[in-house]
Amino acid sequence: MQNIWLSDGMGQGRRQHNWKSHAALTGILLLAGCGSGRQSVLNPAGDDALMLFDLARVMFIGALILWLLVAALFIYVTRIAPREFSRCSAERLIVGGGVIFPVLLLGALLIYSLPLMSSQREADDGLEVQITAEQWWWRVNYVLPNGDTITSANELRLPVGARTGLRLNAHRVIHSFWVPALGGKTDMIPGRETFMSLKPETPGIYRGQCAEFCGASHALMAFEVVAMEPEAFAAWLAAEAADAVPPQTPLARKGAGVFAREGCGGCHTVRGTDAQGQVGPDLTHVGSRVSLGAGILPDGVEDFANWIAHTEDLKPEVAMPTYDYLSDGDLTALATYLEGLE
Amino acid sequence: MTDINKHEEQKRFRAEATSLWKITFGPLVWAVHFVATYGLTALTCAKGWPLDPLRIGVGVGTVLALAGILWLGWGAWAQWDTLRDREWENDAPTDEDRHQFLGHAAFLLSIISFIGVVYVALPILLFGSCQ
Ligand code: HEC
Ligand SMILES: [Cu+2]
Repeated sequence: MQNIWLSDGMGQGRRQHNWKSHAALTGILLLAGCGSGRQSVLNPAGDDALMLFDLARVMFIGALILWLLVAALFIYVTRIAPREFSRCSAERLIVGGGVIFPVLLLGALLIYSLPLMSSQREADDGLEVQITAEQWWWRVNYVLPNGDTITSANELRLPVGARTGLRLNAHRVIHSFWVPALGGKTDMIPGRETFMSLKPETPGIYRGQCAEFCGASHALMAFEVVAMEPEAFAAWLAAEAADAVPPQTPLARKGAGVFAREGCGGCHTVRGTDAQGQVGPDLTHVGSRVSLGAGILPDGVEDFANWIAHTEDLKPEVAMPTYDYLSDGDLTALATYLEGLE
Repeated sequence: MTDINKHEEQKRFRAEATSLWKITFGPLVWAVHFVATYGLTALTCAKGWPLDPLRIGVGVGTVLALAGILWLGWGAWAQWDTLRDREWENDAPTDEDRHQFLGHAAFLLSIISFIGVVYVALPILLFGSCQ
């Protein structure tokens, strides 16, 4: 339902005839962002998000009813039938409506919502992902049941229909992990591991965002979450575990040379090559990611070039130097090499 | 003021001094229950102990705390004595009013303590895990 409204937006003619009756609803959905709903709690695509959506609806409708009752009562006693109350009935109203009723209502909501919280942190079905927040990107390690670890970065892939555990850590400052379409929010705290789990149900690409201010480029610290059918996920994971594909074309080979010459390997790892740096994101399969620079650019050749030549402009105070002195030829070669790291 | 009157007044004031203490007992039970519950939970989760003993312990502790608060609240209610003299407020500068006012305050504090104890216990009784 909300999809239609989110993608249509408001006032595109087609639905204008009845927009008044839906103005309130549309207003709420517009507030949630007019995009495709890839980063919206109103577009739940996983077990946990659905549960939270239900919870939010119960709370919202409850609050609405309460507000209407109070407003109606207020209008009744001030406009429709203004009169003096006896002390006794006024006190009864205050104690009943101001103490007993809220205590019972809040108690009931607490009893309804508390068990939901622990189900957001249920144990995983076998796959665990360790995510460490950096300023301003994400280290991502897939831990298989046999203990093997597969290193990736800035993107999270999950199988649908299964619960995946997320062990969250942070380096230096507090961040917060949030994929609104899939589940709740969990803080990432230096020196203290936190845990949550996600169970996506609808395959698709969702957007996550750091949800705790963490410095100059906090707003530019996002990531893509790709929820895949289990077979597709298994195939992807096997490919992710492999070393980097060697450059195929002369241009890409030239790019690999620039990569080595400029010392990118001092900070970045490309498995299967000499590049073994740990400061920045693992680039072994950077060409197959959906986005670049922690969710801020698409993943095309020109985006790689843009990132390398304008790093600081794209992401203020970033921990990677800006390579604005590279010739266009070197830059294109380098970008082609990186884009080829599928 | 005669000596006898002064003496009488002091005696009453002494009685009231204990009643002043008494209004803190409800919140005190709440505070002890709070610290014990949080402490025990932190310990259980840090050590990885099983959760059932924690739940039972907190359950029993909660029942005891609530019983204590009920008892204190009942005493305070009697001291307030609002049903007999139909006086909701006790604001006259007399010993009797002071006495009843303290009962009133202690009664209200017992109510809030009761609610506090219930709300503190609920998460532990309903949560399935330390996560
Ligand atoms: C001083 C360490 C350092 C050096 C040297 C360095 N980088 Fe980076 N690089 C980083 C860091 C840190 C990030 C993450 C920035 C962010 O998003 O906050 C990054 C991000 C990237 C990304 C985006 C990765 C992703 O997952 O989206 C690419 C591509 C990249 N660097 C390429 C290069 C290339 C090519 C060079 C050499 C010309 C280079 N880097 C040199 C530290 C470095
Ligand atoms: Cu952050």
